[in-house]
Amino acid sequence: MTDATHLERRYRRLLAWYPKAFRSEHEDEMLVVLMAGARNGRRRPGLADSADLIRNAIWIRVRPWARQPAPTVVWALRLMVLAAGLELVALMILVGTQASLRAAIIGRFPHFTAVQWQAAVHAHVLPVEIGAPIAALVWLGLAWANGRAYGWARGLVAGLFGLTSVSLLAAFAQHAATYAAADLIAGCALWLAGLITVLLIFNPRSDRHYHQRPDRHGRKPPSAAGWPAAERVSRAGGVASWN
Amino acid sequence: MQEATFLILTALAAGSQHGYGIITDVSGISDGRVRLRAGTLYTALDRLRADGLIEVEREEVVDSRLRRYYRLTPVGSERLAEEAARLQSNAYVAMTRLNLSGRAVTT
Repeated sequence: MTDATHLERRYRRLLAWYPKAFRSEHEDEMLVVLMAGARNGRRRPGLADSADLIRNAIWIRVRPWARQPAPTVVWALRLMVLAAGLELVALMILVGTQASLRAAIIGRFPHFTAVQWQAAVHAHVLPVEIGAPIAALVWLGLAWANGRAYGWARGLVAGLFGLTSVSLLAAFAQHAATYAAADLIAGCALWLAGLITVLLIFNPRSDRHYHQRPDRHGRKPPSAAGWPAAERVSRAGGVASWN
Repeated sequence: MQEATFLILTALAAGSQHGYGIITDVSGISDGRVRLRAGTLYTALDRLRADGLIEVEREEVVDSRLRRYYRLTPVGSERLAEEAARLQSNAYVAMTRLNLSGRAVTT
């Protein structure tokens, strides 16, 4: 096997990181460029070329599917990332205000033994310690999915906002006197971010973003006619997207 | 507009080019300062094409490999001209102020 064949095979392995539809469109061209830029006798891709290929392959997989999403969608995506951050901030505030939480519980239930009030504090903090990181990951996942115009992700955002609303209402109804003010403010900020996100993604101006994705058979919706990304996907063999 | 995008569009302003031609041209335009790699180039070309700034002019098969030539679209030319005017205006202001303060740098 010649050096060039070795090199080409290794470049193909790196190009396998790209989505299938992107490869079917550009792989041959990229190989020509990569091989032309390689020194004679080289058998392995250079580190810089390898890093560049992998970095861009990852970027193509995670970047927003639409080229120029409506501002309502862009702001909604930013708010989802903000909500993920707020989940973690709320967690840190709760952990940081455990002393006041403990004092409030002791104040409300002076007859509690040490074991009982420790259990009560634990019951308040543990669900948030487990739930907040999970919720942060879910918000980030939803930001990714909404950026790529998955319609179901819009529904999930509404669902997550509903859960946030219920848990906030429950916190106010049952434990408002127990939590520190900072905890409740963080919860309200999170709820507000969720509310604005829902309003933005269900705004009629966001509809085009979600309707541009071809269906599972590769058919373009009428509203996507003339949309460059949709045209390119169609040329790439009716594959729904780059990944 | 990012510098790499600006340089790719500039490389195509003189006429259509294939991928490797764009890389060598961009290197020449930037005096070797910017060296595009294949991953970056084709990610950018893919995006520029989707945005309607460039299009495929023709395809050739050389040594049983596809060679695709890209060219600017009218929209791409317009965007490049706008960006060049903006950069020129900024550069003019910078040079004027440097001259006024007596710190002009000759190249």
